[in-house]
Amino acid sequence: MSTLVGRVPGRQVGVDLLVRLALRRDRVMVAAWYAVLLLVCFASASATTTLYDTEAERVKAAEAINASPGIVALYGPILDVHSAGEVAMTKMTVLYSVFVAIMVLFVVRRHTRMDEEDGQFELLGGTAITRDAPLTAAVVVGSGLSLLLGVLAAAVNVLGGLPVTGSLAFGGSWAGTGLVATGLTAAACQLSASARTCAAIASSAIGVLFVLRAVGDTTAASWLSWTTPFGWNTQLRAYGNTRWWILLLYVAMAVVLVGGAVLLARRRDLGSGIFAPRPGPATGSPRLADAVALAVRVHTPMLVGWTTAVAVLGLVFGAISPSFDAFDSKGIEDMLRRIGGAGAFRDTLLGAVISVLALVVTCFAIAVVGHGGSDEHDGRTEQVLATATSRARAFLATLVVGVLGATWLLLVTGVTLAVGVGNDTDHSFGRLVGSALAQGPAVWTVAAVAVLCFAVRSRWALLGWGVVVLFATLGQIGELLGLPQWVLDLSPYTHAPRMPLADFEPVPALVLSVIAAALLAVSWLRYRSRDIG
Amino acid sequence: MTEAPVISVQGLVKTFGAFRALDELDLEVLPGEVHGFLGPNGAGKSTTIRSLLGLLRADAGSMSVFGLDPWRDAVEIHRRLAYVPGDVALWPNLSGGEVIDLLIRMRGGDPETSRREELLERFDLDPTKKGRAYSKGNRQKVALVAAFAADSELLVLDEPTSGLDPLMEQVFNECVAEHTARGATVLLSSHILSEVERLAARVTIIRAGRAVETGTLEEMRHLHRNRIEAVLEGPVPDVTGMAGVHDVHVEGQQLVCTVDPEGLTEVLGALTAAGVQALTSTPPTLEELFLDVYRPDLEGARR
Repeated sequence: MSTLVGRVPGRQVGVDLLVRLALRRDRVMVAAWYAVLLLVCFASASATTTLYDTEAERVKAAEAINASPGIVALYGPILDVHSAGEVAMTKMTVLYSVFVAIMVLFVVRRHTRMDEEDGQFELLGGTAITRDAPLTAAVVVGSGLSLLLGVLAAAVNVLGGLPVTGSLAFGGSWAGTGLVATGLTAAACQLSASARTCAAIASSAIGVLFVLRAVGDTTAASWLSWTTPFGWNTQLRAYGNTRWWILLLYVAMAVVLVGGAVLLARRRDLGSGIFAPRPGPATGSPRLADAVALAVRVHTPMLVGWTTAVAVLGLVFGAISPSFDAFDSKGIEDMLRRIGGAGAFRDTLLGAVISVLALVVTCFAIAVVGHGGSDEHDGRTEQVLATATSRARAFLATLVVGVLGATWLLLVTGVTLAVGVGNDTDHSFGRLVGSALAQGPAVWTVAAVAVLCFAVRSRWALLGWGVVVLFATLGQIGELLGLPQWVLDLSPYTHAPRMPLADFEPVPALVLSVIAAALLAVSWLRYRSRDIG
Repeated sequence: MTEAPVISVQGLVKTFGAFRALDELDLEVLPGEVHGFLGPNGAGKSTTIRSLLGLLRADAGSMSVFGLDPWRDAVEIHRRLAYVPGDVALWPNLSGGEVIDLLIRMRGGDPETSRREELLERFDLDPTKKGRAYSKGNRQKVALVAAFAADSELLVLDEPTSGLDPLMEQVFNECVAEHTARGATVLLSSHILSEVERLAARVTIIRAGRAVETGTLEEMRHLHRNRIEAVLEGPVPDVTGMAGVHDVHVEGQQLVCTVDPEGLTEVLGALTAAGVQALTSTPPTLEELFLDVYRPDLEGARR
């Protein structure tokens, strides 16, 4: 094999070097992703045995899940209701495999388009590596990390008490999802010269694959679930009568996508995309005249993308929600209580959707603060502050876009949910919008922690991601692991009201808002007096 | 020379952790002059400039720009100056034209009435490209066009020609000359000596965060020894023992040596007495001054 490769004239030189470079640069980020995904996996695997007293109860819960289109849309159906493993992995099989895909997206994009946009490929292009080497290395890293994650996921499930064979199949579904995401991102990163646009293309594709499955799983068009890896994850029946051949589907799709990426890469020049960039305006708009307008202008495409994504999710889950009421079973109520809330199903589900979207929306604010950090150490902030722009204004620019942008997205969440639910509800339009906005104080507080990290040191802005992941993980596994209440209370999301089921509580909202304001004030005191750069 | 300096720095100290980036630096830039700010990479040029812009907070010493405090009165100062960083970073999804107009507007200018169009042509820059598509040289041009477009009182240019080709360097030189002609002050940091030699009347040379030399190029030349080459009629006099004479080489009737300014009279006297056929005395180039300042411990480089 190696001699054969040796004779091929277009042999890849430098791939191993680039792979090692990539792994070195990614070690913290990937370790964090692995830790969170595997921890949630382990918590789910080990908790299921204690969660249900009898098998009959567990089966009832599984049937309840299958009977509720809202939950099936979010988590996928449980094909074998008698399988303890399938019930345990309800959230992992589809929803968390989306996070696997997103991790791979970040890794592969970082080593393809981002490095290319930053000019690092130009630097590497001057060394003795072949033209395809960076893409090959990124694919190797993405695939390798996917496979390793699959193996580790299988291992923690076995540790959590699930059967070995089923756990291997489950690990295979995560690895397969990662492989497809590797190919998808590699191909998407050939399309545009902008790393952000490439990310938008790849994540939209992941979103479409998820929605195809959700529609396939909840409507008569069940063949749709077979068109997407997220559907295969369920159809694999990891813990039932496993269909091992489905694993080949992931590989085949990944191979086709990587092949497509290579073909696209050969048809374009370094630094460009398949889609030619549109020329920008030769002059700037008169409104683009200060730091705040600049931040708004720079983030507008991103805000439009996020608004669209949040609106689609809001409409879909709003539209599915009325059927929640149809199933009044002890099992699902029990299940739902563990997911987060008690009481009427629809309200619980709407509350769950709202709290998930609140997490998503927080990520927008964190991304904006992260851009504030990279603007600063790349030297863009320096140019802004060397004009007649005060530090207050520059600081405000990041705040306005991050915090107001996230608040706007909460508003979009509430409005689209309410539109999706329509008239078939005993809650008013305003109550649903209010339910989404009631998450505001928690979102602001987490965003303010990120701002504080940024204010302490520009490079610490990225720590904001760690904060969101930490609080999100606490919310997801805290109850499963039976963590003490004071640990759960550390997360601002714990204190957001469970609306529309529960009523708005002014005190926690006020306290969170005060904390957020205090964090921002401290951030400003630090930012105004520190070195820029 | 009674005018107040545009930039005045005394005893500036800036530390990053244990590293002393600026070590009691002094700098004075007078109105209307092009002041060369010379030093090798890592000498502290950019740190000085970023302190003058109020981006860094000094640990000790005093600074003023237009008589104002760069930290406290940053906005007021920045309204009157234009800054070109050494490594220009642009916004990936903004076009060059948008960035130029933005920077002009943020300094309080109006792109419509500025020299923007003319400069775009002279620098041969396409303003419709997105930030990510520009090469290093073109990113530099974006910042230069924005800086030269308006009539700022002070131009702060940090290694502004890195990445420009010689043709564009020529355009750059013309632009600096035009701005000084209307009375602007320029602080020009560089490690390219020929550039500073062409543009600057006075220079400050810094090394390891400390100004080691400052003055007009004339003054500096006087401070340093000349290289003398003479072809003599009579026997070559022995100048080796004279005060301030170094590196003596004699070959037939030709004498080559370097002489400190205070030794010139005596040497020239001896040469005249021997009868001079040809004589050249060359002042040191800035290159030589530079080496002189930066390699103080090299044998024979300095007294």
